[in-house]
Amino acid sequence: MDKNTIFLSHGSGGKQSQELLELIYNTLNEVVINHGEDSGVFQAVEGKAAITTDSYTVDPIFFPGGNIGKLAICGTTNDLAMVGAIPKLITLSLMIEEGFSFDDLNKILISIKDETKKGNISIIAGDTKIVSRGKIDKIFINTAGYGVLATNESISSKNAKPQDDVIITGDIGDHGASIMAYRNGFESSLKSDCANVAPLIKALLEQEAIIHALRDPTRGGLASILNEIVASSKVNIILEEERLPIKESVSGVCDALGIDPLYMACEGRAVIICPQDETNEVLKILHNEPLGSNAQVIGRVTERSDTPKLFLKTFIGAKRILPLLSREQTPRIC
Amino acid sequence: MSDKFRNNPELKPLLKKIKNEVVALDGKALPLKFMEVCGTHTVSILKFGFRHFFKDSIKFLSGPGCPVCVTSTKDIDKIIFLAQQGHHIVTFGDLIKVPGTHSSLEKEVAKGALVSVVYSPLDALKIAKITSKEVIFIAVGFETTIPSIASLVLDAYAQQINNISILCLVKTMPNVLKYLLSQLQGEIDGFIMPGHVSVIIGAEPYEFIPKEYNIPCTVAGFEPVDLGLGVESLVSQIKNKNPFVDNRYTRMVKPEGNRAAQELISVVFQECDVSWRGFGSIPNSGLCVIEEFKQFDAEKKFQIEVKDEVVQSACICGDIIAGKKSPLDCTLFRKKCTPENPIGPCMVSFEGACAAYYKYGE
Repeated sequence: MDKNTIFLSHGSGGKQSQELLELIYNTLNEVVINHGEDSGVFQAVEGKAAITTDSYTVDPIFFPGGNIGKLAICGTTNDLAMVGAIPKLITLSLMIEEGFSFDDLNKILISIKDETKKGNISIIAGDTKIVSRGKIDKIFINTAGYGVLATNESISSKNAKPQDDVIITGDIGDHGASIMAYRNGFESSLKSDCANVAPLIKALLEQEAIIHALRDPTRGGLASILNEIVASSKVNIILEEERLPIKESVSGVCDALGIDPLYMACEGRAVIICPQDETNEVLKILHNEPLGSNAQVIGRVTERSDTPKLFLKTFIGAKRILPLLSREQTPRIC
Repeated sequence: MSDKFRNNPELKPLLKKIKNEVVALDGKALPLKFMEVCGTHTVSILKFGFRHFFKDSIKFLSGPGCPVCVTSTKDIDKIIFLAQQGHHIVTFGDLIKVPGTHSSLEKEVAKGALVSVVYSPLDALKIAKITSKEVIFIAVGFETTIPSIASLVLDAYAQQINNISILCLVKTMPNVLKYLLSQLQGEIDGFIMPGHVSVIIGAEPYEFIPKEYNIPCTVAGFEPVDLGLGVESLVSQIKNKNPFVDNRYTRMVKPEGNRAAQELISVVFQECDVSWRGFGSIPNSGLCVIEEFKQFDAEKKFQIEVKDEVVQSACICGDIIAGKKSPLDCTLFRKKCTPENPIGPCMVSFEGACAAYYKYGE
């Protein structure tokens, strides 16, 4: 039998299953707590906690700047951070296609371990399934994340207020554009921005910055999540094209493919909406963090509106709507 | 692309100056009507807000510049026919959703047809090498794309790959403009010439427009500064009553074009009459594969049985391509016809006028 290949028998519950589990436990090692029990048990906190879940199906599973494992951890911690929670625990379910290689699994597990360790979180429960060839594509990952709220203030998409500033913590569209470039065989120096933004948010909350709304612009990108915020908060927002940090290589790839970077996923960015008089403080804190060094104001909440809209003031000073697009520009990028 | 052409502090003053000049023009009905004949220009004009900025002074009309949009329904039916025969269809992505008379490639894929989306024609050759099926590349496009399609045919010939052919639906720019002008004389104040096409054919083929029709022309690029300079040129030609073919995209376009690419095209193709959505058949407005390479011509290799059918539809895509109407004049626009459920090709292609209006409308 080929030693580098995962077979259906590795999910049968027998001896080979044990071998696979051993590899997983040995690689993840100390970040896994509560080995081998049916449920992970942990000390509950007083006060508020947050739970999130997500599934990862990105194609390709290895991409410049990361892989599906790193993406799964960062995606989950970022979702927790977006409600002001400090990520503590994560669950990890691996669905693996028959024929997948142990080498690739190992690389993914190492990324998962590195990212969990760096984020100071533990894997509390997990599961592994092997499915017949063709039933899924290589490997899918499902997670649940648990975090403890670091603020009593309500951070919510409903909370954007007129005259608030809109801040982004870094360049726009790197993840989506790099995946699309890679998938289409374009040569580019682009890398996914995939990263855990929780430390950035933690720094803001610890220094008691006032934040009204917080979102990570993943699927659908910046324009889509801001459309959700304007609808939830019943306000208009205007972005200024000349202030949007978009790498030339990102707009180049997007132009070639006929897609708009404003709708391209980021996986290591946060959009922060805060009162104008708080902006300098927020930027100062962000600029002190490596992940926030390029943070900048990109727009403003203009007024309350019963027909809320997201606008873009273009380079030439014209104003146009940035609509919510319902046709997905780029399938399976996360 | 460089920030110099996109986010340039001198751009706003330039555009304001142009606007003032338009308003001060003597004896000209406003708004001026400028036609762009390239889908990428349509997108840039809407995306960067030129339409909005020049609202009362310049009206931008989209001409026949979107390759998918100008492909006739009958030609779409031919593609669908070939897919139904079990051939491996290789195409640019935009075509998949374009409705034919009774079906679309997308619907055929759901029924099991084999369709691959590529970004370069040469990818079709790679596919042909690893399959025993007949691989048919759907050759749509203008002069910009045609050289790489010619390379595909020449490479297949040189490597003796016999399971590949092209369904040749390519079109060329100068003669459709001649036809358009014969229809629309006096209704257009200036042409923004297609930047990409002009890289290949140069600026010289447009000389007949100022000479015979007295209409200003300018070759322009696609960044905001490029477009600003292009519009400035048209307005100053009108002001000076001195129409000519200006080239404001000199960093890419030479007067004579790219001779090597032109040569490549002429080795594989010859001019022929082709059918355009919105216009019908126009003499010498497209290319077909020459006799020597007929083995790679899907029309000659296969018996394509497609009926001439006229389906009644409220879609005005043809009139939009001809510059007679705007997407906003269409009763289906944004209602029955959306990018998710496109009724006509102008809503399917990202370069189509309807898709651009939908996405970038005010």
